[in-house]
Amino acid sequence: MPCQYEKPRFPRRWRTLLPRLVGLLLLQFFSPARGHTQTAAQEKPVPILSGTVGVLPGITAGQTLLDVQFNPVLLVPLGERWLLESRGEFEGEFQRAPGARSFGGPVNKHLDYLQADYIANPYLTVTAGRFLTPFGIFNERLYPMWIRALQPDPLILRIATATSDGAMLRGGFPVSVRATFNYAAYVSVPSVGLEGVESERHVGGRAGFFFPGPRLEVGGSWQKALQDTRKNSVGLHVAWQPREVPLSLHSEFVRSDQGSGYWIEGAYRLSQARFWEKAMRRTEVVARGQQYFGGNLGADAAQSLGLPGVNTREADFGMNYFLKDGLKSVVSYGRQFSSAGNFNQWTFGIAYRFLIPLGRESHQ
Amino acid sequence: MALSLPVLAGSSNRKEVLAGLPVVHSTDVDTMRTQGEQRFRTNCGRCHAAPQKFPPRAMATVLRHMRVRATITDQDMRLVLFYMTQ
Ligand code: HEC
Repeated sequence: MPCQYEKPRFPRRWRTLLPRLVGLLLLQFFSPARGHTQTAAQEKPVPILSGTVGVLPGITAGQTLLDVQFNPVLLVPLGERWLLESRGEFEGEFQRAPGARSFGGPVNKHLDYLQADYIANPYLTVTAGRFLTPFGIFNERLYPMWIRALQPDPLILRIATATSDGAMLRGGFPVSVRATFNYAAYVSVPSVGLEGVESERHVGGRAGFFFPGPRLEVGGSWQKALQDTRKNSVGLHVAWQPREVPLSLHSEFVRSDQGSGYWIEGAYRLSQARFWEKAMRRTEVVARGQQYFGGNLGADAAQSLGLPGVNTREADFGMNYFLKDGLKSVVSYGRQFSSAGNFNQWTFGIAYRFLIPLGRESHQ
Repeated sequence: MALSLPVLAGSSNRKEVLAGLPVVHSTDVDTMRTQGEQRFRTNCGRCHAAPQKFPPRAMATVLRHMRVRATITDQDMRLVLFYMTQ
């Protein structure tokens, strides 16, 4: 029987803050639509084809690899409140066989997301379909090659980020002049997607506060698997872009049955350099440190999920040069340490984000 | 610049933009622009390098996408759109 004097599970401040937040959320969901149009767009939006093309030759543990990616994103706005969005992934991971001249290997295809978003009111968007699981920040916000500051994936990326097929509620609103709140809550059911990619049955959510003054975001994620282990995964994330220096810091921590770990990454634009100013303004140097600690999965099960088979540490350093809007060249070096063997990882290449409007501009 | 005309041309259009912004009570376009730029700087470089301006209708789609993806508030989006389509 639970003891009467059990320590409260939430600190006092949370106990007072939580009901207020829930109240605010409920009030806003059911608030009547405003008289004017609800969407941010006053211009009639057109469909867009966007996405990334990337070519990344590299050397991992002495093996030369060529990674070629094409990730088209299709955005189709409908009316004032709807958006259909989809992203596909075509990735060729080519290797050169010993003695051969050319590279060869499989091309993987994957439907990353195909979802319908309905902007119900200024505070709530309802999403249905296949969507990127909003656990932590990398999967949903930093994954595309043109966005990520270092091309190798964080070691913990695959924890609690399996594809979701289902429904999601999300949104953001100011809670004071100094802070905005953002949230996502989702439920996913099992289904079989392209190339046999199976989504999981799980529920979860993410919430965060963004403080525009210091440009700091702090948030947490939670997910509960509704199959097999029915275990919980929890995550914390921080993103900070101090105003005084051109630095961008991101970090994630996760704890789950599949393993635990963290990564912390800083990207620094050399825009304050006093020499070669034009070139320096376009240059960014990056460093990331990370660790993964194995969970209750065996090594084989972990590796089949894309996680390391043993406890692993990794340090990466890189430099990006922004040639023009959406186009950057990248180079990075990393070293991985684990009982399975240490190795180096070099990556070079270019990533380009294209954007093609699929409609005429003049409309009135 | 020619592309930005539809936003400001019809006064009804302009009123609508302004109506959605409880923070900006004045119809001062300069204030809107300054606020929009501020919101753009604060929000649009958080996850990726801040993008260039695209034609207004394309920008409207991008911002709808970002609003959903980045859970940026409705108010910030209106101001950013105003700024981005100037
Ligand atoms: C919370 C992170 C985040 C913030 C903040 C953010 N973006 Fe994005 N943005 C993304 C991601 C992630 C993508 C890639 C979408 C994909 O490939 O699935 C993207 C894509 C884009 C694209 C490519 C076209 C598209 O819609 O996919 C443009 C242009 C863009 N963002 C502009 C902006 C602008 C303007 C703002 C400020 C209002 C902004 N972004 C704020 C994460 C963010």
